Amino acid sequence: MKKTLLAATAATAMMASMANAQNIGVSMALFDDNFLTVLRNGMIDLAAEMDGVSLQVEDAQNDVARQLDQINNFVASGVEAIIVNPVDTSATEAMSNAAASAGVPLVYVNRQPVNVDTLPDNQAFVGSNEIESGTLAAFEACMLLRAAGKTESANIYIMMGELSNQAAVQRTKDFDDILGIDMCNFMNVIDRQTANWSRDQAQDLMTNWLSSGEPFDALLSNNDEMAIGAIQAMKAAGISMDDVIVTGVDATQDALASMQAGDLDVTVFQNAAGQGSGALQAALDLAAGESVATKVYIPFELVTPENLDDYLSAN
Amino acid sequence: MADAIMGIGGLKYDHKKRHRPPELNVFLALILIIGVFEILGQTLPYMNGQSFLFDTQGRFDSIFNEARLKIVILQVAIIGIIALGVTQVILTGGIDLSSGSIVGATAMIAMSFAQVGEVNGSPNTRAVFFEQGWVDLPVMIPVMVGLACGLFAGLINGLLVAYTRIPPFIATLGMMVTARGVAKWWTKGQPVSFPTESFATIGAGMTPVYIFVALAVLFYLIMRHTVYGKHTYAIGSNMDAARMSGINVQRHLTMVYTIAGGLAAIAAIVLSSKNLTAQAGMGVMYELDAIAMAVIGGISLQGGRGSIIGTALGALIFGVIISGFTYLRLDAYYQEMAKGAIIVGAVVLDQWRQRRAAHRL
Repeated sequence: MKKTLLAATAATAMMASMANAQNIGVSMALFDDNFLTVLRNGMIDLAAEMDGVSLQVEDAQNDVARQLDQINNFVASGVEAIIVNPVDTSATEAMSNAAASAGVPLVYVNRQPVNVDTLPDNQAFVGSNEIESGTLAAFEACMLLRAAGKTESANIYIMMGELSNQAAVQRTKDFDDILGIDMCNFMNVIDRQTANWSRDQAQDLMTNWLSSGEPFDALLSNNDEMAIGAIQAMKAAGISMDDVIVTGVDATQDALASMQAGDLDVTVFQNAAGQGSGALQAALDLAAGESVATKVYIPFELVTPENLDDYLSAN
Repeated sequence: MADAIMGIGGLKYDHKKRHRPPELNVFLALILIIGVFEILGQTLPYMNGQSFLFDTQGRFDSIFNEARLKIVILQVAIIGIIALGVTQVILTGGIDLSSGSIVGATAMIAMSFAQVGEVNGSPNTRAVFFEQGWVDLPVMIPVMVGLACGLFAGLINGLLVAYTRIPPFIATLGMMVTARGVAKWWTKGQPVSFPTESFATIGAGMTPVYIFVALAVLFYLIMRHTVYGKHTYAIGSNMDAARMSGINVQRHLTMVYTIAGGLAAIAAIVLSSKNLTAQAGMGVMYELDAIAMAVIGGISLQGGRGSIIGTALGALIFGVIISGFTYLRLDAYYQEMAKGAIIVGAVVLDQWRQRRAAHRL
């Protein structure tokens, strides 16, 4: 009897403290992703600075079903707001419904949900406009090739991320759009393949391409990790990195170091920490009953050796 | 007994009736696949008569396209190392699903002992042990730490399989999930990059291939000529018979899984060195590629049948397929579909050949 009483008191005490704090449930698509880790830490850091905001961060392990379960669990445990970094951007309808039917505010972060235009009033999306990243990188590559006097014709390779991933599809499309404009249509694609975002697969893919002996002027990669892998393969094959333009996206620490060393030419900075803190701010505003714009865009920024120093401690 | 020995189930057969070794079939399949790529390359109009295997542009001293030969092996060398361990496990009739995750965890832990103190002239404050001052350590430390991690994980697998008698599928599935958790937890998901120059040489250039070939030869000899090898086959063929004939099955199984863990650790060290980084997501699905290599190489999932040579050939087939598809500039979508079909097709063919051979006895 004593034990039950004690447990009951403890439970009441816990519930009391929970009621005072602003509890925010966070479901991340996956934990072992460098970029999403910076984003996650951006949220956690902001929460730590604030008084009475407590985050419960869960890992959906790239599983759509698991993520929906996590959201339903958050709803059941009565959180003030939910932040979701969707595993699959086309599976967000059910999540929006689950939160809306319970009246819990919901903020999507980083990956734009498919139902972004039909979100209920207390839901929002915080992220960057993916169209910018590939466009910025490809256009910069085009300008660099023009500056190098290769306007007659330039051969390029395109390395794609996981083909089931929205960012990979979008960035590749952005590359193609730039290659289609008059100013840049001197660039012709020899081949495009996926290296699944992975540095190791990119090394092997580049070496395979090099084995055909086809001369090329530039490599456009969907992300930095693959760009770095390709650079490692090219250097191993004795290719001077002055002769080839390599572009990535993400501005990771490894990429910036590679740029410092004169290997990587272009990358694009996506403000991960800014997205994380922006999402938390939006969630808290919605929980407080304030209105928030449905789409909050944090802009992409082009990174080249000229402005590299501004980004060294950013992500 | 001179020209007739008793086979499995007491079937009598003599050497004259013995058919070619199964590895020969795998080898022929390898040649066949290369031939298909070569012919497709010559026929498809957009290929401009470029050859898969041969040097048609006079870029190398030999008649072969050396760059292609190198990448064919290089891209499967690391998973090939894992496959050597997985082969031994499968030969005992078990399975190891944990190797990919062991690669992830080992790479993360080993790499954090291999980081430099300075990157491009400024202090590498993001190094895992920067505050402790454990940077620029001699290369033996990360290598030893890595090996210890892999052997330890393998030992746990082995003890679970041998002494708790839970199925290997479950035991190593548990390790698969746990080790991946360790890989993520170690740095809270952050990548571990910028290794020392000496650590970077382990996976540089063609070194992964040399390590793979050396280990393959070593384990080929071990499996063929030592008690360890004979006991592995014996346990896989018939565990009860092996036990009754005095083999310490539990101790032996523990050893096999421990060795498989150690080989996964070697793969992790080479992989992180080759890529100059360790990331928590490294090695995902490697266990399945390693199992596929073994199976294509004729290793029976029932245990007791197959050899290291088969696995090495299976790895080569994998490499040829990856390079061949890129050579043909086949769309990535079709590559995955075809890869799956080839894995299943290889096993179907092998089974069919087995049955036919059995009928002939």
